[in-house]
Amino acid sequence: MKWFDKDTFREILDSISRNKSRSLLTGFGVFWGVFMLMLLSGGGQGFKNLITKEFEGFAQNSGFVFANQTSKPYKGFKKGRSWDLNLADVERLRNLVPELELVTGTVNLWSRKIVRDDIVATFSVRGCTSEYAQIECPQMRYGRYITEADNAQERKVCVIGKRVYNELFPNGGDPCGQRISVDGAYYTVVGVDWNEGSVSIMANTSQCVVIPINQARRAYNMGNKITLLCFTGKEGVVMSDITPRVREVVARAHYLDPTDEQGVMMFDSQLIFGIIDNLFNGISFLVWLIGLGTLIAGVIGVSNIMMVSVKERTTEIGIRRAIGATPNQVLGQIISESIVLTLVAGMGAIVLSVLILAGVEMALTEEGILKAAFQVSFGLAVLATSLLTVLGVAAGIMPALRAMGIKPVDAMRDK
Amino acid sequence: MTLIELQGINKTYNNGQPLHVLKGIDLNIDRGEFVSIMGASGSGKSTLLNILGILDNYDTGTYMLNGNLIKDLSETQAADYRNRMIGFIFQSFNLISFKTAVENVELPLYYQGVPRKKRHEMAMDYLERLGLGQWANHFPNQMSGGQKQRVAIARALITKPEIILADEPTGALDSKTSVEVMQLLKQLNKQQGITIIVVTHEGGVANETDKIIHIKDGMIGQIEENTSHNAWGGSVIK
Ligand SMILES: Nc1ncnc2c1ncn2[C@@H]1O[C@H](COP(=O)(O)OP(=O)(O)OP(=O)(O)O)[C@@H](O)[C@H]1O
Ligand SMILES: [Mg+2]
Repeated sequence: MKWFDKDTFREILDSISRNKSRSLLTGFGVFWGVFMLMLLSGGGQGFKNLITKEFEGFAQNSGFVFANQTSKPYKGFKKGRSWDLNLADVERLRNLVPELELVTGTVNLWSRKIVRDDIVATFSVRGCTSEYAQIECPQMRYGRYITEADNAQERKVCVIGKRVYNELFPNGGDPCGQRISVDGAYYTVVGVDWNEGSVSIMANTSQCVVIPINQARRAYNMGNKITLLCFTGKEGVVMSDITPRVREVVARAHYLDPTDEQGVMMFDSQLIFGIIDNLFNGISFLVWLIGLGTLIAGVIGVSNIMMVSVKERTTEIGIRRAIGATPNQVLGQIISESIVLTLVAGMGAIVLSVLILAGVEMALTEEGILKAAFQVSFGLAVLATSLLTVLGVAAGIMPALRAMGIKPVDAMRDK
Repeated sequence: MTLIELQGINKTYNNGQPLHVLKGIDLNIDRGEFVSIMGASGSGKSTLLNILGILDNYDTGTYMLNGNLIKDLSETQAADYRNRMIGFIFQSFNLISFKTAVENVELPLYYQGVPRKKRHEMAMDYLERLGLGQWANHFPNQMSGGQKQRVAIARALITKPEIILADEPTGALDSKTSVEVMQLLKQLNKQQGITIIVVTHEGGVANETDKIIHIKDGMIGQIEENTSHNAWGGSVIK
């Protein structure tokens, strides 16, 4: 006799569907386990995506230097001295630290008065080069980013952030070609950067008016002074390895103690990404631990309830044996019932959790753009399903062995 | 022709206090016989019937069924004998409660691997022959005792067994239905030549059979030929 023909399946389905409360009770443990596992892993992944989103556009191997009051005396200078970065530092890093791929500087100004017609607002101004796009990748909603030509010709053009755009152009539409005033000087809008990462160096891009650095230096009489040095490492370069070298190059040029970590402030993205990765690996691990724990508890529950139900079904099984069921057929039936129950309960849980996660995604969707994917992957669902089958067999083994041991006489006695 | 041949069958139950239930049973039953087994409660009637039906083992002696020694069979072999050679009828019907009448009747064929459609047709056929056509889709708890017992008989018959073993088949029925059930068994015996063994302690029931085997304290006592159906003063059921 075949184990998995249509008839056998009907027989199993009948047994399950005609003993509803028993089946529900049995399936619930697995349902809950899978449901929690799916929800937790989808939620954990989504949370990670959400956080990662905050860093979106940031080059993973980027680093930054900015000037601060010194914290150590050096070569006759007292501590607490103020100093500034300048354009020469860009050249120095380019020449002296070969591990760097790209070096560029920015000029940052805060709380500037921005005016368009009768709308007055306060935002930051960032002067930068076209290369800055490789540090913090812009997401152009309209137009283009700052180009080399903009800088070479000191064009009075600007790229505005999302918040700036929303405030200055409340009616929406493509603002390119329109002029806005920044501290009294007029700039032509050439692009809108939709980047919304809330991690920002100096100022959040969504609240910035970005202009060519040379134009910014001239407009604000900054000479060669810059606010921030930005760089990226070449492929395979570990940021923490070159940080001391970068600090030393800058410190030497400005008569600073090369070990003054506070005076020459540095920040690198690898460090942050590393911390986040570790954090989420930890969370993932916990999620799986909890989820699998719940699932295994569920399976043990299934096994237990099946055990009780086999006892309760002694008569039924005895009758089956008396009219010719072989022990193997009884074994097969109980294990199959266990597989079907765990599968159905598990799939139900997968479907429900997918729906809930889809709902979460819907709630997080803004202007048709999904903020972060919360959905469990197809692979995970397949994995869970095959895991369920295995667990179904495992849960069914003990009860099935007990059922197999039922002798027809035991079932027939005293009624 | 001898169908069942028992020689020196002994059976002791060993739960706690050993209980010697069958003490050397010698018994021959021929093909086509219609016999009853009578005896006091606890005399070992059910034990004997279970051994005949290969539902239980015996300790010593030999049991030949249709010329084959029934001893130390594997569970699978025993299941096959029960499925193909023997039909059971019990006092408490032993129908599966969540299956309808027709599904209960189909079940032995399911274990033979008969396709669903075929076995459904056969089961309906048997139910109709027993006058239960319109009860086919009822569950056991929706039927009377007599109807349930007839469903059980249909289930016992569907594999066309050579022997029907009935343990107090009328024990839970009133006298009218008891008579009907006994008539039905008698008819099966006469018309289809099925060997039927009925355990009972009702004289009226035993009187319907052709031979009455008395069992006393685990031993065969008197064997009455009853072809004239005059035992117990020709008593009728109840
Ligand atoms: N599985 C068992 N374990 C222990 N003792 C048993 C078992 N089955 C039956 N007995 C005992 O064996 C004796 C014979 O039992 P059996 O069921 O064969 O009697 P019976 O003749 O059918 O009686 P009744 O007319 O009451 O049905 C009884 O004393 C009973 O208690
Ligand atoms: Mg009995």
